[in-house]
Amino acid sequence: MKFHRIYGLMLRNFYAFRKNMDRLTDSFYWPTIDLIMWGLTSQFFMNMGGGNNVLLMVLSGLVMWLILWKSQYEISVNLLDELWNKNLINLFVSPVTFTEWLVSALILGIIKVIASFSFALGIAYLLYKVRIFDYGLQFLPYMLVLLLSGWTVGIFVTGLIFRYGTKIQAFAWTMVWVFGPFSAIYFPVSILPIWAQQISKFIPMSYAFEGMRGVISTGIIDYQKFFIGVSLACIYLSLSLVFLYRSFAKVMQKGLLKVE
Amino acid sequence: MAILNVKNLTKKFKDFTAVNDISFELREGEILGFLGPNGAGKTTTIQMLLGILTPTSGSIEYFGKDLLKHREEILEQVNFSTTYTNLPWVLKVSECLTFISYLYDIKNRKERIKELVEVFDLGGLLNKNISSLSSGQNTRVNLAKSFINNPKVLLLDEPTASLDPETADMVRKILLKEQKEHGISIILTSHNMNEVETVCNRVIFINNGTVVANDTPQSLAKTIKISHIELRFDEGINQVIEFCEMQKLISRKDGKYLTVDIKEVDIPNFLKTLIDKELFYSEISIEKPSLEDYFLENIKIERKEA
Repeated sequence: MKFHRIYGLMLRNFYAFRKNMDRLTDSFYWPTIDLIMWGLTSQFFMNMGGGNNVLLMVLSGLVMWLILWKSQYEISVNLLDELWNKNLINLFVSPVTFTEWLVSALILGIIKVIASFSFALGIAYLLYKVRIFDYGLQFLPYMLVLLLSGWTVGIFVTGLIFRYGTKIQAFAWTMVWVFGPFSAIYFPVSILPIWAQQISKFIPMSYAFEGMRGVISTGIIDYQKFFIGVSLACIYLSLSLVFLYRSFAKVMQKGLLKVE
Repeated sequence: MAILNVKNLTKKFKDFTAVNDISFELREGEILGFLGPNGAGKTTTIQMLLGILTPTSGSIEYFGKDLLKHREEILEQVNFSTTYTNLPWVLKVSECLTFISYLYDIKNRKERIKELVEVFDLGGLLNKNISSLSSGQNTRVNLAKSFINNPKVLLLDEPTASLDPETADMVRKILLKEQKEHGISIILTSHNMNEVETVCNRVIFINNGTVVANDTPQSLAKTIKISHIELRFDEGINQVIEFCEMQKLISRKDGKYLTVDIKEVDIPNFLKTLIDKELFYSEISIEKPSLEDYFLENIKIERKEA
């Protein structure tokens, strides 16, 4: 693995990011709109007697969901961007390896997650004086679970795109939402129907969001939830990596030109 | 010395064999034309030579090393340009060349980009977005991209397709200059037979996934015995056409001009007969068989067999 090649791939994305309204909108506009809408809704419920932590819990859920969503989105859209631009061949006729391409997408994802996350934290503080960053260190283990889960979904969707092309590109911005109801982002798992609770046991994100709410209520990190969440996330991540590498090998049997 | 060695290369897509057991080599400093009708297997072969399509069987060796085992090391010294791919639309030309320069192990990136800007006359385009370039400008940028790593082997898939004659000529001159000055070896596919005859030292003709000829453009053209005579008749052109029909010669009329396909050895007799019949021509030009004739003849044979 060569650093200059990973840097080159990242540079290509940064050049494009600055000029791409869609990507800027995804990173900053939608998080702002979400925070305004959900913040006002939470304030309304607080005024109705919903408890003092409602605003903090809802906004924390929203900001943490951003980690999951952005980390998966950046990987899948990275590939789509190359396909839309018919640039994939240019990359792979160079010495760039598939692993280098993937690593560059993961690093880019982390940078963009940090940018969007920090921006959202700032907006939450500016609009509602909610100091989510006060929980920074305690949230860190759960953020890791969400990051790994986001990569898992992103890598799986990327594998699907390699296999089936841009006709399934909508999965890049929709698939992660399938897990939303079972992830207990804004509500505890216990309010889900029993069958849905059984499913959420296998969803690593549910442990992260439950743990996050535990920190807000008690100030204590539930390490058991963290370990279950991170273990599940690691297992799924490994499986999705196998799927991605197999998809790439399969596409090399058909030819990269066929994907474009 | 062979810089690229292809042995028994085969690619099958389920039941369809796109490339069938082909073997050839590319010598150092040689420009090799890769010809064949659409669907012959040219692009499939090029993809395998670039490592973006896995062969079903056979081997590809650059500089004596296997492509699959030494991919990174080999691709540092190989590059590619085609009309099938684009550089990212929203990026400026300078940004494209910069990011691509990082994909290769280039010592002085800024200096190398400066050299390419000069060679391909890109000075006025550096701050333009790829999306705003004409097809000719785009081709120049793509070619500059393909020279960025000072490749020892360059694969060019129809590099002058959709270019105006002036730009196409400029591209050909650059290729010949780079070949002479840097001893670069090039594989070139093109549907422009004049271009192939001008530029290539050797031609491989591929059809139905197999190599059907491997020789110099001149030698391939010589295998065709039919020449074309173009004659101008101010009067009596229809009588000449009738005479050609009687002699079972193919002729084409264009105003006062008539082109006749005829064996080179039969030309003197044909012309003498015309004069004996008092059918006088006022202009004459004889075109020897070309690579294009070879190409067309082979496709004709292929279609008849099918």
